[in-house]
Formats: sequence, structure tokens, C-alpha cells
Amino acid sequence: MKTAIFLSGALLLATTALPAHAQQTVTLLAYSGLFQERYTKAVIEPFMAAHPDIKVEYFPQPGSAAMLGVLRAQKAAQQTDVAIMDVSVAKTGTDEGLFDKVDESVTKNYADLYPNAKFEGVAGVGVTFDNLVLIYNTDAIKTAPTSWNALKDPALKGKVAMMSAPDIVGIGTTIIMDRMNGGKDFIQNINAGMNAMAEVAPNVQTWEPKPEVYPTVINGQVSLGVGWNARSQVNADKSDGKMKVALPQEGTILQVNTINLVKGGPSSDAARKFVDYALSPQAQSAFSAAMYYAPTNSAVKLAPDVANRTVIGAMDKVIPVDWIALSTVRDRITQDWRRKVIPLSR
Amino acid sequence: MSAAAAATTQPANAAGERPGSGMASTVALATLLLGPIIAVNGLAFLMPVFNLLLLSFRESLGGSTIGEAYTLANWSSTLFDSYYIELIVQSILTSLMITALTLVASYPIALYLHRSKGRWRTFLLVLVISPLLTSAVVRTYGWIAILADDGLINNMLKAFGVEAMRLIFNKVGVVIGLTEILMPYMILALLAGFGRLDPRVEEAAETLGASPWKVFWRIVVPLTMPGVALGCLLSFVLAVSSFITPKLLGGGRVFLLATEIYDQAIVTLNWPLAATLSMIVLVIFGAALVLYSRLLRAVI
Repeated sequence: MKTAIFLSGALLLATTALPAHAQQTVTLLAYSGLFQERYTKAVIEPFMAAHPDIKVEYFPQPGSAAMLGVLRAQKAAQQTDVAIMDVSVAKTGTDEGLFDKVDESVTKNYADLYPNAKFEGVAGVGVTFDNLVLIYNTDAIKTAPTSWNALKDPALKGKVAMMSAPDIVGIGTTIIMDRMNGGKDFIQNINAGMNAMAEVAPNVQTWEPKPEVYPTVINGQVSLGVGWNARSQVNADKSDGKMKVALPQEGTILQVNTINLVKGGPSSDAARKFVDYALSPQAQSAFSAAMYYAPTNSAVKLAPDVANRTVIGAMDKVIPVDWIALSTVRDRITQDWRRKVIPLSR
Repeated sequence: MSAAAAATTQPANAAGERPGSGMASTVALATLLLGPIIAVNGLAFLMPVFNLLLLSFRESLGGSTIGEAYTLANWSSTLFDSYYIELIVQSILTSLMITALTLVASYPIALYLHRSKGRWRTFLLVLVISPLLTSAVVRTYGWIAILADDGLINNMLKAFGVEAMRLIFNKVGVVIGLTEILMPYMILALLAGFGRLDPRVEEAAETLGASPWKVFWRIVVPLTMPGVALGCLLSFVLAVSSFITPKLLGGGRVFLLATEIYDQAIVTLNWPLAATLSMIVLVIFGAALVLYSRLLRAVI
């Protein structure tokens, strides 16, 4: 019993004494893999160099849903300070009271953010823009496709790969197709897009390219795929010219990652400093150059060779998507896909 | 800390109260021995399952938010929706088919293993178990290489002038992949249940003039039924709950309960619906267990 008291006393001392000397730690919940590698180099390391008293601990998760799972599980005693996640998941987190608001009081960069980076009912703000693109195998397809209709090309039977609904690649491609075919408001009626996807279906080899769509295009298992610009650009660079990226003329949709302050996170002051830095022109341009996500801060000036490989030069062609309104009809669209699209690809 | 201390001291106290009674001390000893596993199971299994049950009654608001109110909506929308009924039926049928194929493929191997002896038997056993040392993901990717459009089998078919078939990214691929992945479990379960198979009984039947075929159906099969029942139960449960292989080999075309739970939990974030579907899987497992014990009682 005596030893137990001694040990707990020692533990108490250790836990209270340490923070006085040690640096503050900001725990960042964000994507694993390539994102982690590039974000650490482009943003986190320069931030820590500028703030020697703050250490950023990267807590990687495979996707936004898994991050929400972590935050839900730790709600009673949050271990995380900042979360970078998809805006629709951030909306759910906001509704469940997991986040503090990011506004002028947190960062002076707030005023410079593009309107597309601010969302009604979401506590965080946009930190990266990504967009849907076509990716193609250069051995199989010699000239760059210029239209999303390339997905319907009868010559590509069994040679297309893309994620199906409920993944946002499937839903996003349907929205683009809907707009191309005269759809006005996909929240109300997405039939035009659904009919177009039914024409794509016979070409599709897999609706679930694993581990990702990029290697299946690079190794020639399929000839054409739908991917996200940032990962497509990085994979194209690594593919020895086997894979190229095309942004079709009809435009694209944006995927927005938001940066969110976790309510009750252990080191909130340092967390606010990190959020401020992540939205600064310096961090935004460094990450764009590292991974071709478009910046959300309008004060950023990108070098032309970087800008051309992000969506920033084609913002006028972006089809506006209200992800928050969409999340209410996502289930219905998924059911439609299962009844009207996927059965046509068998 | 204090909870653990209480858990370990309680049985000791119970034993100390009635030192004279033999019955009581047996009970106390049993409690003491079973205590840790009951505690672990209670904390790590029963409590999460109970939470899951509660979650399945929580309200699912639009946009994947979990509401505070309790409702029957998840259950009624699952049990009265043709899509989910079809999903449940398809999952059970597909798993039964995989179980049957696994049994047919594993039974001869298990029978041969049971009769082999010495080093040769050890070597074969290691060979049977060795796939379990590799993760199911890696083995599934192996099947992709074999079954793909320009994979091993289709290239062989083309060499013989037969038109290539789509063997992957559909139900055929899922059935082939899962059958192979479940075979080691089936073989081990069969071996464990082959204890009553005595070669002298077979010899006696032959001496009395039974044909090899008759010996197999009238002697070997009935005596190995406990192993068959155990192997089928294990394979069925694993087939219903596996989602990695159907995800990788199904190409987004094969909808099973496990993949749907994954989608609802991870992609659309509808946790209450995912919890409801998980409870349905648990009910299916319960039914399989009841069936198994009935079968076992009938054959022994």
C-alpha cells in the first residue's frame, strides 16, 4: 500500500512538473500516407523551426471518417488539438459539438480565404482544395481526353476504374455528368447524371480499385480512371510517363479539406498558432508546391508551373457543390446507383 | 487499479466465508478460475456489444450526425426494405455456398492428413497451416494476379483458344478467394473432429464385404460428422463476417452484409445503421450456433 501511495505521488509529480519545462505539443489528426509525408515536410517542419517551444505530433488516419471516430471516442477527454478532414465530415463533427470556431480571432488569414473555403455551419475553414480529374494510361490512350464523355467511349469496355457511390468520387462524377447533360439542381433531381453514369457502367472493370485507382492505371490494368488531382499529379510524376492527368473542358468539382480546432484539446493556444500558420500564404504555397493541392488563401501567388497543375487556374469552371446539402441526399443517390448504374456493369 | 484489486479479492473472501463446505469451495474455485476470463469478456466483448445494441436504436440525423433520441427507425428501415432483405438473403446464401465449396475442397485433404504418419504428416500439416502465416490481404492480391483479365488463368485459356472470362471483380472472384482463404480453418476443424474415425472399423466393414464407396458413405462420413459440423460452423461465421476479400475481389459489385457495414460505418458514417446491421449479423451467428448444437446432438 505504501509503495502504491509513493508511486502515485511520483506519478502526480511527474505529470505536473513536466509541462513547466517541456515544450507544448500540438496533436494534429490528419490523413496518413503521402499527405502525411508531404505535409510534414512542407508545413509542420517549418512551423516547428519557427516555434521551437511547440512540437507538432502527427496522428495519421486513413480517412476523415476514421478521424471522426477518434474524436467521437475521445469526446470526454480530447487528446487531439487540430483535425484536417473533409468538409462534410467536419460538418458532422461541428453538429456534434466537437469543434471550436475558426475565425478572425484565431487567424488574421481568415479575411484572405476564398469564399469557397468558408462554410455555414462548419466550425473549421478550408485548408486545401482538390478536384476530380481523368487519369489515363499513356500506352493505351495516346491523346489526352478533353471531355468526361471519354468514360463512355465503347472502345474502353472493361478498361475503366473509379470508386462508386457512396464514395465522393462516384457521387462527384455523377454531379459533373448531371451538369453536362442539362441538370439544374442535383439536390432535387440528378436523373440526367444517373443516365449518363448508366452509359459509363459497361466500361467499368472495377468500382473499387484497390489500393487506389492510380496504380491500376499506371500498370495498365485499366486505361482510364477518375482520380483526385493532388494524388494524380504526384503519381504521374512517379510513373515514368505511364500515367497522365487531364482536366476535362466541362470543369470539375472541388473537394475541400478543412482545418478544425478540437474543442477542449490539451494545448489550445499552441493549436491556434498552428492553425494560423497552416492558413498563411507561406504554408499554403509550400504545400501546393509539394503536392498540388490548390491553396485556399487568395493572397498566395503560385509559380506558373505549380499553378497549372492545380485547379487554381480553372476556378471559373468549378461546378459549385454544397456538400452539406448533398449529405442529406447522399443515401438516396447511393441507392439509385445500386439499382440503376452498378447492375449495368456486370 | 481499484476495480482490478476488488475483482481479485472478492472470490478470496467468498472462499473464506464457508471453509467447511466442499460444494461452496468448488464454486469459489470455479469463480476464481473463471473470474479473469469473465472480466475480460465482459469488458472487451459484452459491453461493446451492448453499446452497439444501444447505438442501433439511436436516431440517425441527415448528414451522418448521431442524434440523442432513441428510435425504431433503423430497425424498421432495415427489416422492411427490399434492398436490405435481399442483402441479408444474398449474404447467407453466398456464405453457405462458400462453406460448401470449402468443405468439398478440404475434406479429402483432411482425410489424407488424418491417415498420414510421422514426419510426412508434420510436413503436410505445416503446409496446410502456412497460408495462415500470410495476411488475407496479401493472399487476396495473389488471387487478383491469377484471376485478372490478363492473369494466369485467362492467359492459359487464351493459349488454348478459349475466350477470356471475367473471373474477378464479381461474385465468382469473391467465392474463389474466400474458399481458398477459409480452407486452412476448415482442414484444422475437420482434423480436430476426426477423433472417432478408427481404421479398424473401416477394415471390419471391408472384411464384411462392403465396397470402398459404401465404406466411405456408411462408415467414414458418419464418423467424421462432428468435424464437418465444426468446420462448416467456423467457415460460415468467417465467410459472413469477412469484408476485406469481398471488397478487394468484388469490384464494388458484390454487396454483402459485412461490406455494407463497412460502407455505412466508414464511408457514409451512418453508425446507427451500421450497428443495426451488425446486430443482424450477430443474430445470424446465433442461429448458426443453435443449428450446430442441434446437428452435433443428432450425430453423436
